[in-house]
Amino acid sequence: MLGTHPLASSISIPIVPGIGGAEVTALFPLVTFVLILAFGRYLPFKGAFPGIVATGLGFLVALATVVEIAGGAGPRHETLHTLVAGVSGEGVTLTFGVLIDPLSALMLTIVGLISLLVHLFSLGYMNAEGEIDLPRYYAALSLFTFSMMAFVLSDNLLMSFVFFELVGLCSYLLIGFWYREPGPASAAKKAFLVTRFGDYFFLIGVVAVLGTFGTAQFASYAPGVEASFVEIATDALEHGETGEMRTFLGLGERAWITAIGLLVLGGAVGKSAQFPLHTWLPDAMEGPTPVSALIHAATMVAAGVFLIARMYGFYALSPTALAVIALVGGFTAFFAATMALVKQELKQVLAYSTISQYGYMMLALGGGGYVAAVFHLTTHAIFKALLFLGAGAVIIAMHHEENMWEMGGLKDEMRTTYLTFLAGSLALAGIFPFAGFWSKDEVLFETLVHALGGGAPVLFVAYALGLLAVILTAFYTFRMVLLTFHGDPRTDTAEDPHSITLSMKVPLVVLGVLSVVAGVLNMGVFKGFLPENALFLERWLDGATMGEQFRESSLTAEHYHHVLTHDFGAGYSSGYAGLGEGNLALVGGVVALVLALIPAAVAWRLYGGAEPDPHMMNLGRIRTVLMNNYYQDEYQVWLARGFTLPIATLANKFDQGIIDGLVDGSGGVSLFAGGRFRQIQTGVATTYAALLVLGLLILIAVFAVTGGWI
Amino acid sequence: MLIELLLAVTFASAVWVFLAADETAPKLAAWLSLLPLAIALYMWTQFDASGNALLSGSTVGFETQVEWFQLGQYTLQYHVGVDGLSFPLVILVTVLTTLAIVSSWTPIDERQSQFYGLMLLIETALLGVFTALDFFLWFIFWEAVLIPMYFLIAVWGGPRRKYAGTKFLLYTNLGSLVMFVGLFMLVLGLGDSLTQLSLPAIAQALAAGELSETVFGLGGTELRAVAFLLLFLGFAVKVPIVPFHTWLPDAHVQAPSPVSVILAGVLLKMGTYALLRFNFTMLSDIATSSPAAEIIAAVGVISVIYGAMLALAQRDLKRIVAYSSISSMGYVIVGLVAFTPHGMSGATFQMVSHGLISGLLFMSVGVLYNATHTRMVGDMAGLAERMPITAWIFVAGSFAYMGLPLMSGFVAEVLIFVGAFDSAVVSGAPLFTAVAMFGIVIVAGYLLWAMQRAIFGSFELETDYEVERAPLHDVAPLAVLLGLIILLGVQPDLIYEAIQDAIGPVLELNAVVPDWTVPFTGGEI
Repeated sequence: MLGTHPLASSISIPIVPGIGGAEVTALFPLVTFVLILAFGRYLPFKGAFPGIVATGLGFLVALATVVEIAGGAGPRHETLHTLVAGVSGEGVTLTFGVLIDPLSALMLTIVGLISLLVHLFSLGYMNAEGEIDLPRYYAALSLFTFSMMAFVLSDNLLMSFVFFELVGLCSYLLIGFWYREPGPASAAKKAFLVTRFGDYFFLIGVVAVLGTFGTAQFASYAPGVEASFVEIATDALEHGETGEMRTFLGLGERAWITAIGLLVLGGAVGKSAQFPLHTWLPDAMEGPTPVSALIHAATMVAAGVFLIARMYGFYALSPTALAVIALVGGFTAFFAATMALVKQELKQVLAYSTISQYGYMMLALGGGGYVAAVFHLTTHAIFKALLFLGAGAVIIAMHHEENMWEMGGLKDEMRTTYLTFLAGSLALAGIFPFAGFWSKDEVLFETLVHALGGGAPVLFVAYALGLLAVILTAFYTFRMVLLTFHGDPRTDTAEDPHSITLSMKVPLVVLGVLSVVAGVLNMGVFKGFLPENALFLERWLDGATMGEQFRESSLTAEHYHHVLTHDFGAGYSSGYAGLGEGNLALVGGVVALVLALIPAAVAWRLYGGAEPDPHMMNLGRIRTVLMNNYYQDEYQVWLARGFTLPIATLANKFDQGIIDGLVDGSGGVSLFAGGRFRQIQTGVATTYAALLVLGLLILIAVFAVTGGWI
Repeated sequence: MLIELLLAVTFASAVWVFLAADETAPKLAAWLSLLPLAIALYMWTQFDASGNALLSGSTVGFETQVEWFQLGQYTLQYHVGVDGLSFPLVILVTVLTTLAIVSSWTPIDERQSQFYGLMLLIETALLGVFTALDFFLWFIFWEAVLIPMYFLIAVWGGPRRKYAGTKFLLYTNLGSLVMFVGLFMLVLGLGDSLTQLSLPAIAQALAAGELSETVFGLGGTELRAVAFLLLFLGFAVKVPIVPFHTWLPDAHVQAPSPVSVILAGVLLKMGTYALLRFNFTMLSDIATSSPAAEIIAAVGVISVIYGAMLALAQRDLKRIVAYSSISSMGYVIVGLVAFTPHGMSGATFQMVSHGLISGLLFMSVGVLYNATHTRMVGDMAGLAERMPITAWIFVAGSFAYMGLPLMSGFVAEVLIFVGAFDSAVVSGAPLFTAVAMFGIVIVAGYLLWAMQRAIFGSFELETDYEVERAPLHDVAPLAVLLGLIILLGVQPDLIYEAIQDAIGPVLELNAVVPDWTVPFTGGEI
């Protein structure tokens, strides 16, 4: 542990370890996992209780870590476990360790908080509903929390990959929790397979990083002690110090760095459900809704974005990789939002909305907005977890009916759910002053500024797509709220909904309040009119609260900006269209707000009545295409069933017929002609033993003669 | 003396079990098999060898070397010993044999004393293969493995057991013949300089460039190349490498599951172990030459992808695992040919890891079969409901096979990939590696599919009896294997350190190690 700011000791909570022991956040759920696996049936609330304790403690430690960092402590980078030690400098060493800095501490807090709230919510959603096999549910939830926290704390790319895959396993187990039904079992398979496809590229990237740089560390242990792969790459491009990196396949340093970046991006595209590997996420809604909130909205899906953010110094070196990220992100944001327009099931709207929102984060990363991406990740984790939990409350109230056309008028019967869901929706739609307004706006602002600054023209395209998505988002969000909660109840169930428990209400209220206020973190829209230190998140990610050592490290937002804006890196520059930064930010915010308010008003007009009509039917064939998700699933199923499987069957026929046929044929013909072969084959087994010994003796004899033995 | 004790105790146990009554044989065999296991584990605590048993400058663990008899100019010896490559496999043999014996209690219900006697006999022979350091002795053990395996398949196997057993026996014996000729071309080529047939002597004579005679009109590099080819073809049958693999699915499908465990878990490793000892150590100059290295790498990649594609087309769980084994052994080839520290060491680690994982899968398929009497994926559904523990262990084993992190398969594969990517001898190594890695997607495809159909869904199986949970003695071996897989996945250095130590001298033979040190170990930067 590095030097501690004097302030830190006075505000840190002494009974919980902070930055010096933040890894215990991950250990708590690991212990819980083992406990539930062994004694699940006998534990209070079938394992929910230890889960709540573990995540609660984890959240406290994460908070303590944040407090300590705010007090000047950190960063901490320590190897905790050596997986494989390379011998005498001839092979790379594979280790597990922790890297605790503002980024990981923030993410750790988010994971701890959402996981705690989801555990609480599950008491009402799962236990109170009399679900069976609950220990399996809570064990998987604990394993997930452990893996996710370990992923966040990872200090190197290999460890990231390890836990990236493990959260995928947990996702598989939880999507398939109701495995007796065909839907969940199939959706679980699809989720793992599609993300595995992305992970294939990620793993090549990991291997390439190890081969290229000899290390997969994200950061140095201390200045000048050991370089990270990010720093080696930066040195190679900035100062031409290429001695510590190799390249492969005859590529130059920059091209090879881009190649590695794109390979790792494959994993992020899979996990963060970006086009074209987004198809698993809507299916993943087959899992229990609290799982959707935790894993498929707030945390695991964020892993891809977090990964890019974690090694942003590396991506900032490659304008090509950034352009690809921006385009993929912008396109996904728009593309997914169009599908959300027509969905009838509450969770499906939220699923496509999630894909779209992660598109924004990717857009921000590609557009050079590191802080914006992290900001949107944070606010989205809060309001989307809230929306999913709210949807969960509605689903319970509606006796597991998810179709919004079967709902209506729930706002009077479900006051808490309605108000909190509304807060989340306003945040999602980007309405001032709710959380999403600030973060989404910053995403768009950063992209625009770098596009205006003369960056890649593709940034304009990505920005335009992001802006269009604002319109769609506001529309589908209000359509969702109005259909679910407003108007007259359209069914008997909606008329008399099932009540929800207190354990479900508490998480809703906590997240609801946060959805209203979280924007305070970084009110970038007013950056021209606020004192500089009012942009808390930016200061946080710059390490402004920390010692000089961190501020001069390669992990700060300022460093990323430095790399981004120099020619050895992406070569981005900022342009403000003659307005100046502060004014452009304000104008951008107003434009985005107006773009959100108009479709919101249209939605109100269309769906705000007592008995709304299904207006989307007017879209005709467009609606059919959207309902079928642009036939994305079909072509992927075809790739598996119509393409790969026939090849496999053909290979099998070839193998059985030709290769094995040759073997059987030659065995019969050359060794033992026809009938004699059959005779031996069916004969006494001892014949073979004799045959063997005979063969051996002949061999020895041959050798003996030619070897000079007489 | 400990190796002699190990071999003698195992052999004596086999004899004892042969003589025991059928009723007592199962338990007796299990108890007796704990002896070699205990001896091997004790030896592991005492193991202090360093380097490679075949190469100079090394110390061999538990070495015994006594003259046996004179054959022409050659002194044949009883010469045994272990190093970091063979010892992990010795332990694997003892662990898997004990577990396979326990898992035989349910399915094997006739001629038990013979069955368990043969299991212990095959253990003796396998231990011999991995400890022998004299070619003559090694070859005796090598061939001796075949006989009990033949009987185990042909007597206790499925409907086509005779065909499968014979095919196995003839095919692998033919491989032995080819390999034998290859080695003797080398021995003859070494001429008078060679006075004994110990493997170290042959390896060191070859390394010293004493191959002076011509054999069949071939000399020098040509002779070594032809010998390399013959040895490679011979061992390729055993591994098996595509296209010499077709005996394997037949043998596995017909063999009782516990026998499959030994077959996939250890017998296949004889092939890769021999490849490492002979082709990649004694003739490393050929293995690292172009285009031999590229051809071998291509063969390995083809085994990986082709084996996985074949697995994708199967409906029989055992065939799926059998073809997967071909794919997994392909990774070993890809790693070995790289001639990098992690490539070759990772390949050796994969031998152990795959032994455990394929053992786990074959064993759990066997336990499911005991209860369901079918292995066809289409015939059953929802086994997780009726046999939860077995089913979930099968799921865990499948994920291990897919290379899930924190399980041994992941470590093995990542090390192989890292090593193969870096290879200085295979040109275009990154491309070969990237293609081979696609195996991790295909394997996920068929195992996830098989799980979805057989394990998940609501229970469905046509039987005229009630499908019940497996007894403890069926499940316990599965749990032990799963524990070991996770242990090695979290702490691979338990064996990996020794493996790397023994691989080091092999790499130095041709100095193909990339001249490039890692920043991590530096500290001076």
